[in-house]
Amino acid sequence: MKRSRMLGRYALISPAAMLIFVFMLLPMLLMALMSWLEPGQFGGVKWGNYTPEAYVKFLFDRDLSDVLLFDTDYLSIFSRSFQLALVTTVLTLLVAFPVAFYIALQTPKHRTWLMLLITIPFWTNLLVRTYAWILLLRNGGLIDSSLHSLGVTATPINLMYTPIAVQIGLIYAFLPFMVLPIYTSLEKLDWRLLEAAYDLYANRWQTMRRIVIPLAAPGMVAGCILVFVPALGTFFIPELLGGAKTLMIGNLIQQQFGVSRNWPFGAALSFALLAVVLTFMLIYALRFRGKGTLTQ
Amino acid sequence: MGVSARASKRTPYSATRRAGFGVEFALKMTADANALVIQNIGMVFGSGVGAITALEDVSLTIGSNEFFTLLGPSGCGKTTLLRLIAGFEQPSTGSISLYGQHLEGLMPFERPVNTVFQSYALFPHMSVSQNIAFGLEMQRKPKLEIQKIVADMLELVRLTGFEARKPAQLSGGQQQRVALARALANRPKVLLLDESLSALDAKLRKEMQLELKRLQLETGITFVFVTHDQEEALTMSDRIAVMKNGKLEQIGTPTEIYDFPRSRYVADFIGETNFLTGIAEANGLRLPDAQLLEVLHSRPLGANVDVAVRPERAQITQEGAGLNAVVREVVYVGTDTVVYLEIAAEVFRVRMQNHGGAAKIVSVGEQIKLVIPPDAVRVLEAES
Amino acid sequence: MINPRNPLWRYSSLGVLMVVFFAFLYIPIIVLVVLSFNQNQTATIWTNFSFDWYKTVLENPNILRAAQNSLIVAAVSTVASTVFATMAALGMAGKTFKAQNAFNGLVGLPLLVPEIVTAVASLLFFLAIGLELGLTTVIIAHVVFCIPFAYLPIRARLEGLDPKLLEAASDLYARPWQAFARVTLPLLLPGIVSGAMLAFITSMDDFVITFFVAGAGATTLPVYIFGMIRTGISPEVNAISTLLFAASLVIVMLSFFISQKK
Repeated sequence: MKRSRMLGRYALISPAAMLIFVFMLLPMLLMALMSWLEPGQFGGVKWGNYTPEAYVKFLFDRDLSDVLLFDTDYLSIFSRSFQLALVTTVLTLLVAFPVAFYIALQTPKHRTWLMLLITIPFWTNLLVRTYAWILLLRNGGLIDSSLHSLGVTATPINLMYTPIAVQIGLIYAFLPFMVLPIYTSLEKLDWRLLEAAYDLYANRWQTMRRIVIPLAAPGMVAGCILVFVPALGTFFIPELLGGAKTLMIGNLIQQQFGVSRNWPFGAALSFALLAVVLTFMLIYALRFRGKGTLTQ
Repeated sequence: MGVSARASKRTPYSATRRAGFGVEFALKMTADANALVIQNIGMVFGSGVGAITALEDVSLTIGSNEFFTLLGPSGCGKTTLLRLIAGFEQPSTGSISLYGQHLEGLMPFERPVNTVFQSYALFPHMSVSQNIAFGLEMQRKPKLEIQKIVADMLELVRLTGFEARKPAQLSGGQQQRVALARALANRPKVLLLDESLSALDAKLRKEMQLELKRLQLETGITFVFVTHDQEEALTMSDRIAVMKNGKLEQIGTPTEIYDFPRSRYVADFIGETNFLTGIAEANGLRLPDAQLLEVLHSRPLGANVDVAVRPERAQITQEGAGLNAVVREVVYVGTDTVVYLEIAAEVFRVRMQNHGGAAKIVSVGEQIKLVIPPDAVRVLEAES
Repeated sequence: MINPRNPLWRYSSLGVLMVVFFAFLYIPIIVLVVLSFNQNQTATIWTNFSFDWYKTVLENPNILRAAQNSLIVAAVSTVASTVFATMAALGMAGKTFKAQNAFNGLVGLPLLVPEIVTAVASLLFFLAIGLELGLTTVIIAHVVFCIPFAYLPIRARLEGLDPKLLEAASDLYARPWQAFARVTLPLLLPGIVSGAMLAFITSMDDFVITFFVAGAGATTLPVYIFGMIRTGISPEVNAISTLLFAASLVIVMLSFFISQKK
């Protein structure tokens, strides 16, 4: 009787599991494999020959006589992406934590409404939200003309297509992603612990530092991952706000499947990105075993 | 079996109720057939090194129309035994039969047995009526019949008018009664109650104890009741089975268990007890301080014997015959006065009923005489 | 609990931060919505309130087709992913077994991996197996990444289910399938609805993955909007963006209120 029970359970899980396995896991392995192929003439790949060319291309450039020259172009794109993602993570953390803390202090009724207000941007179209910033940032856009009419600036300032624009867009996009997990952690906080701390002569800042932050740590870590990983691989935010001058990994990858027609290289870049993300995941899983806030 | 509440006015239960519970009901029919025969039940969870033996060689019979209680601390196996009867687990060894029919292998929905859960387990998305009707619907009873039974049940538990309410809108006591009605609606051969009263506050609990007793008398259904509260067991039961660590310690009526505990464990678990120990002599026990406690016994001379004495059976006197003891503490608890004595290096409590003011005026440190009637001394079984 | 009026729990500086925070979060959206009603083309000078751009947008056959595609994809993906997610949640419930951790990892995969990696991998996969890019490939990709979004609320709801309720049903003569239909399913329904709505929003809003695996004629609304933005700012973009935002908003609020109801 127990056997058929288990079979039944496996049967229930298998459609979902098979779908994800076949259409997500397998493709990623395939992607790793295909990064070792040659690019086709009009896009696509040429099956047959295996070459590490894609990975070579990452660090080196071949000049006309086929000599390898160390090329930092792609490395700089990677480092810029890391930088932008890191700054995004730190800044969102600094803002999201007090916000989440404030909401957790409110009465349950207020908390519900405030969380609804945060949930709305979280679930509405990211493309649309990013586009709104174009309206604000561009030449003649809202910020520019407001500053102009207020007399602060004389000439139009150039905000679009700069790293600043991308940074703003990233922070704007991912703020809710940081607030939600931190709030989840803080919501479970036993406020009597704070009362105990105050009773033992801790002031508000000390209590924050020694009690609240350590207890909210799982939520903060989860939030950092939820922000850093997508920010690292983001594609259309730098595309729309950064233009050709502020390429990130995402754009670079997309280019390979667009104008550059180097699919294996795109695959290699994707795989590299995946490897980086998986490494972070592994570190998280090993260090923070058992903290289930990530799946909230 | 008449289930409607109208019958209550005709049955003699109201008379017995006024007579007070805990007294044997001469009017009640003694068990004529054995409802449940539990034979050599053993229950082991898990296997290998980490295996837990929840029940070990438990055998007992429960009669029909009986209010039977399984009593013991948590972990003693009483709930496990109940779940075995209900069918939520299958025993590792042994058998259970219901009116001669073996229950092994039968699923819960194949057994004419119903359960009232500790947390009530009312279906939150169904109304009171729908909850009560559930078991009947599963048995494909005709709609009209279901409606009538539901109405009768609501009247029986005195919740008429609550048909459309959802469980969340009910108080704890009301939820309890719905859970009862839901189970009783199916006229089970046996009703199982798993610590059903433990979630209620003290006053409500006492009311529900009387209510449960009334229901059992009216419906005539065998109730098997699980509790860790010995006072509750004494109040409601026809018979009690005291359990410890998966084994049966003693089975008997409340008076048998209270007045004639066989082991130290049962004596200690039920009510308050004093324990004394001594060497067996012809006329009684020689206590460590050389005093003689008079008692009739059949133990070999020279053996170590443990005895139990209920605090309310002993008396204190300043003059006359008795055992020498010293007063250590006097505690006034409203209804009684409890005097803590020291005798033979043991603590001995004497409980006296107050009739306006403290029963006895004694002072701490006073030397008094402790009077223990020989028939109040219970010789306990030697610990194996 | 905490009384916010108690000065012990008052952090005055936070109030300011909250205002700034919500302003930052909502002003761009408000600007977008407001400008979509602006008659003027330049999008910065306000002339007149007008529905012109909405009219243009709703008469544009390309937009309508893209919207239709989005709806088809979202509808199919939602149904499929919700059904599979419900089955999976039911299979995962109860005593732990070995494959559980593996499945948890599998289900979390679409959430953790950057979208572009999934997009590229899917594209290459379809190429490798020779599946032509079109609405089918979009639907397949959507079903896969919608599963976790549907799964989580259902799983959460299932875990909150008192197991004693099923024992009670069994005790009251319900066979396993009856207990499922009369007790488990009704109680699970809010979770399923919530999961379905999340899946729907996620599918409607998706851009990156769709961008990569959509063939010609399988353009969805976000992809089309992206194309419009690429070619330049126009008030039509404002209008269609606002419409898309409004649709997401409605569904979020609905989902929220349903999940609030016990």
